[in-house]
Amino acid sequence: MGEAEKTFISGLHEKLVEDKVIDESQLEPGFAKEIQKYGGKDVMTCLQCGNCTGVCPISLKIDYKTRSIIKYCQFGLKKYTLGTRWVCATCYRCYEHCPADINPAEVMIALRHIAVREGVIPPFVKIAATNLVKYGQSVKPDAEIDKIRKELGLGDVQSKDPDYRHVLREIAVLVHATKYDKLIGIEEEVKV
Amino acid sequence: MTAPEQHAKQQPLDDAQPKALGTTVPKIGVFVCHCGSNIAGVVDCGKVREAAEKLPGVVVAKENKYTCSDLGQEEIIKAIKEHGVEKVVVASCSPRLHEPTFRNCITRAGLNPYLLHMVNLREQCSWVHSHEKEKATEKAKDLVRMGVSKAARLEALEAREVPVEPTSLVIGGGVAGIQAALDLANMGFKVYLVEKQPSIGGVMAQLDKTFPTGDCAICILAPKMVELSRHPNITLLSYSEVEEVKGYIGNFDVKVRRKARFVHEDKCVGCGLCADVCPVKVDNEFDLGFGQRKAIYIPFPQAVPLKYTVDKEKCLHFKSGKCLLCVKACTNKAVDHEMKDEVISLKIGTIIVATGFETYVPKKNGVYKYWEYDNVITALELERLLNASGPTGGHLIKPSDGQTPKKVAFIQCVGSRNKKIGNNYCSRVCCMYAIKNAQIIKEHEPETEIAIYYNDIRAFGKGFEELYHRIREDYGVEFIRGRPAKLSQNPKDKTVKIRAEETLLNKITEREFDLVVLSTGLVPSEGSRKIGKTLSLTVSPDGFFAEAHPKLRPVDTAMDGIYLAGCAQAPKDIPDSVAQAKAAASSAAAPMMARKVRVEPLTVTVTEELCVGCGLCTELCPYGAPELVQGEKGGMKARVIEALCHGCGTCAASCPQKAIVAKQFTDEQIYSELESALVFDGKAHASRAGHKKKAEAEV
Repeated sequence: MGEAEKTFISGLHEKLVEDKVIDESQLEPGFAKEIQKYGGKDVMTCLQCGNCTGVCPISLKIDYKTRSIIKYCQFGLKKYTLGTRWVCATCYRCYEHCPADINPAEVMIALRHIAVREGVIPPFVKIAATNLVKYGQSVKPDAEIDKIRKELGLGDVQSKDPDYRHVLREIAVLVHATKYDKLIGIEEEVKV
Repeated sequence: MTAPEQHAKQQPLDDAQPKALGTTVPKIGVFVCHCGSNIAGVVDCGKVREAAEKLPGVVVAKENKYTCSDLGQEEIIKAIKEHGVEKVVVASCSPRLHEPTFRNCITRAGLNPYLLHMVNLREQCSWVHSHEKEKATEKAKDLVRMGVSKAARLEALEAREVPVEPTSLVIGGGVAGIQAALDLANMGFKVYLVEKQPSIGGVMAQLDKTFPTGDCAICILAPKMVELSRHPNITLLSYSEVEEVKGYIGNFDVKVRRKARFVHEDKCVGCGLCADVCPVKVDNEFDLGFGQRKAIYIPFPQAVPLKYTVDKEKCLHFKSGKCLLCVKACTNKAVDHEMKDEVISLKIGTIIVATGFETYVPKKNGVYKYWEYDNVITALELERLLNASGPTGGHLIKPSDGQTPKKVAFIQCVGSRNKKIGNNYCSRVCCMYAIKNAQIIKEHEPETEIAIYYNDIRAFGKGFEELYHRIREDYGVEFIRGRPAKLSQNPKDKTVKIRAEETLLNKITEREFDLVVLSTGLVPSEGSRKIGKTLSLTVSPDGFFAEAHPKLRPVDTAMDGIYLAGCAQAPKDIPDSVAQAKAAASSAAAPMMARKVRVEPLTVTVTEELCVGCGLCTELCPYGAPELVQGEKGGMKARVIEALCHGCGTCAASCPQKAIVAKQFTDEQIYSELESALVFDGKAHASRAGHKKKAEAEV
């Protein structure tokens, strides 16, 4: 099995599997059911018409085809769905147009749930989550941003505000209680 | 207190508590069917039989692999003769399937056919509980016990025979209605054909050519239309609508409104002098707005009957009280603006419903921009544009500028196979008519580039696959597998850009076309809905009329004496519509040929002493069977016209006085079934008794 690596957006590398032949060992028969368990609709009703791909703003820009991902789900090719689903912007245009009344966007969310449970988390998601825990926002505060804010006549970002500390503590408690810190591998950094 | 004790102490449910059968318990035979492995694969039929043997009154219980087979039926007859069985319980499939079989069987053994009770161990037990074999067996035992209890209380009934009027009413004058009417008329029956439009012909008359052979639609339809109009056994009631239908098989009373066409049909010779002088021009519906007609008109040259009609909405005389040029022009004095609607009454034996379909109309501001872009048209509009007698004389044009399109796209499955709009079904004809129209365009203008955006191509009929093959091989039509996502119009030349994923390439494509044709699906017509209500017909989830059985009674309806033909039942192509029309004619002919028909005696009876004349039954009955009449001892009393009664039991269930009793579903029979559902081996079911106890405590 040959594997190629492809970069989509910053920090997200996807391992593309280039199988010449897909044999049964690569299929997970209950995958469609698993997606339903995580809130997606039944992908087996998809007619593969491709309307979702045509209306998808992401599909127009990068090599990501909503319909193919649904096809992988129908087929039970779990590993083929790795990575790409993170680029879905959940704009729900696919849902609006789908003649089979599936909600591909929610299937993508379900796929993210499944991936996270299995420990497959792209770095940019980890970074954003860590920032959220540390600073109460998903973008890390830095000097450059502070400078621009000052030029625009704006004050410091909230995370620098001493009164904001109790909010950060609340986030930390919640993150710890839900084991979210362990999930994204930062339990060392969360002090409760 | 143990469960049996508690049961013994329970009060009767109410006065309808089954009476003890005393010493005269009838002899009951129980026959448990394996239905191959359909039932026996889940339910332990041996145990069910053993349990049945112990039930009160049961003198014989047998199992069979197939009770409906000759062997199985022989065993029932043998048991009746040997054991003196008086009532029969067959525990097998749904009574919808084999009740007639077993009624015939016990009749052969000398029993009244209504002394049979069927217990449904297949649809209501083994099929739905295939993963719970033990529980299914217990349930089967319960069901059989209930059935035996009811069977003990069955009473003999006599089937009635009613006369059948040898006259048929065909509603709808499309190809299906025309064919059904012709077949019945040729068999010698009198036929009335009611068509709401001024001419018969239906949608087929609008089409250009037919797939897969390329026959001109009107060329093959017109001879049939003319034959129909000249047939001595057929009365054509065009521009008319069925207003009321009462009665039952063999004896329908039908009222038909003959709308005023303001032209006397007996005087009009169809010369057209009136239309020549008429000053009013309007869009012709027959050409879907592409062509024009006058206010006094025939919809198309081959119209049958060839009688002119005045469009009351558009005629100047009805607006201003003047004009009347047509009256002056008519040499036969046929035009008469004083004409009024007329309602005629018909005595009808059987009815064929051939009310057809409408094509799906795309929504405003929809994805395919039908209302917004000039060069997006529907397939039926294309048919008119390709038709030699159409508004352009058969020359395909772009509506925006009247030029010949160089690139044409077809979009399939518009209004079909779409859960969002509620049309989940496949319309069955769109794939083939798109391919056929692509062929016609190529024949007219061989240089035209044609692309068909499809999801699946369904070329299943005779000669269809060959046409699909030809269109790719000989005509080079391109097939793109994907549902277009976005259409955008170039404001200058009005070309339309289609964005779609070519799913087989996994690539998004953008292509420009001069003309886009939407292959719109077939939907139930508005007129059908009205007729359906008038006739109390049932409708399938797709909105089309439901047949009595999807496989074995495809042209019958749940209403005896009413049959279906053509697209009123489901979308279908011309050969299928004609075939179904012939089948409906044959089904309708059967009771008319016999001149009499047996009807089920499962009706209701009214006990006059109990009736207080509240009239609730007359309001609830879907068939208009009960009526209030002056009672013998004064006061209004309900009386049920037995011939109208279908035995649905709605009135019996709702009668506050329990004055109405549904035969074979008496309170006594139903309560006896309920009681035995609660008893097992002569004891109350522990769990169910528990529920009862709780219910009593709450009271």
